[in-house]
Amino acid sequence: MQVSKKIVVLGHFGVGKTSLIRRFVEDSFSDNYKVSIGVHITKKVVEVSPEEEVSLILWDLEGTDDLTTIRDAYLLGTHGVVFVFDVTRPSTFQALNADLDIVRSKISKTPLLVVGNKVDLVLKEDLETLFTKNNIETNFLTSAKTGNAVNDLFLHLAKLLH
Amino acid sequence: MLDQYQKEYATQNVQFILIDEKGTILETDQAFLKLETNSSIFDVHAFFYTFESIKDTLENALLFSCVHIHFKDEDYVTDIRFVKKKEGYLIIITDYTSHYTEYQAIAQTRNESIINGELVAIKNAELEERENFKNSFIRNFSHELRNPLTSIISITKILSDTALTNQQQDMVTFLQQSNANLKQLLDDILSISMISSGRLKLRENIFSLSQLFDLLRFTYKTRALDNNIEFAVNVDKKIVDLVEGDRLRLFQVLTNLLDNAFKYTQTGSIRLDIQLNQKRANRLNLRFEIVDTGVGISVENQTAIFESFSQLSGEQNSDAPRGTGLGLSIVKGLLNLMDSEIKVISNVGEGSSFYFDLTLKQPLATTSKTSIITPRKKKDKKAKFRTDKKFRILLAEDDINVQTVLFKSLLDTNYFYIDLVSDGALVMEKLINEEYDLLLIDINLPNVTGDQVARLIRDFPFKNIKSIPIIGITAYSYEDDFKAFKKSGMNAVLSKPFEHEELLSTMAKYLK
Repeated sequence: MQVSKKIVVLGHFGVGKTSLIRRFVEDSFSDNYKVSIGVHITKKVVEVSPEEEVSLILWDLEGTDDLTTIRDAYLLGTHGVVFVFDVTRPSTFQALNADLDIVRSKISKTPLLVVGNKVDLVLKEDLETLFTKNNIETNFLTSAKTGNAVNDLFLHLAKLLH
Repeated sequence: MLDQYQKEYATQNVQFILIDEKGTILETDQAFLKLETNSSIFDVHAFFYTFESIKDTLENALLFSCVHIHFKDEDYVTDIRFVKKKEGYLIIITDYTSHYTEYQAIAQTRNESIINGELVAIKNAELEERENFKNSFIRNFSHELRNPLTSIISITKILSDTALTNQQQDMVTFLQQSNANLKQLLDDILSISMISSGRLKLRENIFSLSQLFDLLRFTYKTRALDNNIEFAVNVDKKIVDLVEGDRLRLFQVLTNLLDNAFKYTQTGSIRLDIQLNQKRANRLNLRFEIVDTGVGISVENQTAIFESFSQLSGEQNSDAPRGTGLGLSIVKGLLNLMDSEIKVISNVGEGSSFYFDLTLKQPLATTSKTSIITPRKKKDKKAKFRTDKKFRILLAEDDINVQTVLFKSLLDTNYFYIDLVSDGALVMEKLINEEYDLLLIDINLPNVTGDQVARLIRDFPFKNIKSIPIIGITAYSYEDDFKAFKKSGMNAVLSKPFEHEELLSTMAKYLK
């Protein structure tokens, strides 16, 4: 039996939310940055066990540096949240913990995964320093460009929600 | 009539769909989405799965703005409203594609501009960090080299004062030249570091151009004679004598360029020409040109020669002695500071012409002679001390080599009794328990630094301690370091490596 789970993907603009979803759904990537406005919704069915599938309804929300402005309607019925930041741009993670508090205040009791994207652009040791310095804890470090950990991220969430 | 227009226009962009609780389409118009009744709304687009989660809590109406719908190869950007009705649920979809497309273009420009700005700032911060690291490295490197160099210079001096055979004297002379070269290299590295870190500040003073050119003539005349090269300094007669600018840095630029010319010219001539380009109000613009008949530089190397540590592997240094590769880089940096730019015209085998245009101020009023900077003449006189008494000196230095050579060289003069400490914390104790005529103190002492000790001394309540002359010795070489050390209460500060005579003459000033 197939169940549907609504996943909201949010974060600051230009962090690669759309690219992550495109990599997951279409297994493709484009270097051209196209600003997303409003919300794009796509669906992908994933197998969480040999007999079970989950239909992930992925809501790709317009990026914003002020998360309080996210439209509440977009968040209704959310089963899981993916918060994405760009490891190369400090402005997208400097206030990460405050941003996460805002998200949690809007969608409480919902699993939330923190994802640092564009890891292909930085050295691993620099990342460690960066996270320690900024007191950041992540669940996944991804690269939509190379595909690194993208499927793992969504599959992990699907299993978590199943 | 209006009803008809309304139908004609409004209905094109607004679609009404009525569905039941299971999402089956009961009724729909065909405004822009061509839908079939009895089909499932969930098959239209994944967005409509949201109906499952809102239907139970939907009281009146709920609006979703700016929702992208892809249906039958068409993309729409819509506002979608769910309204609860008796018969089921009404979905009103308004197509705002053109409106949102305009908004997207604006957002695209804005976001790209913000991201680009951030990336430039990050890049700049990275460059600044690298530059700071480099400067800090150079500073520490220079600092660490100055202590051993001080020992070498002092030991060489002590050695040169002993009875030597001719062969030994030759070797000591070679040592002295090598020491001088090494010291020059350290000073050059420091200049580069100060220029690139922005710590080098220009100091404008009124000075005599003719005196500056005479000094250059005097300095390079002997060298030209030794090398059998013609040398001339030609000054445009229209140029006034007194100008305002940084004499020291102009001198440094010209000597670096002349040194470079001498290094790469084996035969022929070297010329320094100074021409008046223009004179406006109280500003003179002068063309300085150094022309040589040396080995020349190929076009592809004419930019590289101004980069730090660029010793060309080809023509420029084929037979010439190796240098640091810093001279021209210093010239470039100093001239940039002076709003000027070094340029070169050169042909391999024919020679080079290095030139720059520099604006100097012409003082408005005739200034009294006292404020005019004139080059300092080296004093030949040796430092004089009283012979009827020996002075008691406290030497605080932790570097064992520097300590040894200073101790020995001072003791050998027979003017002093020397006590030694190697820890800043012990200086005050010694000063309280013994009487000294002068404190010679290294800045970088363990536990309590030299400048901290100086402050303690100057704040001390007893006059005999409070007023003791303090001479700081330091391997730090930045001008602002010097200022800070002097501010701490030191009478004078000497930069390592220093000549023995320089130390003695400084000490003589405070020992009466």
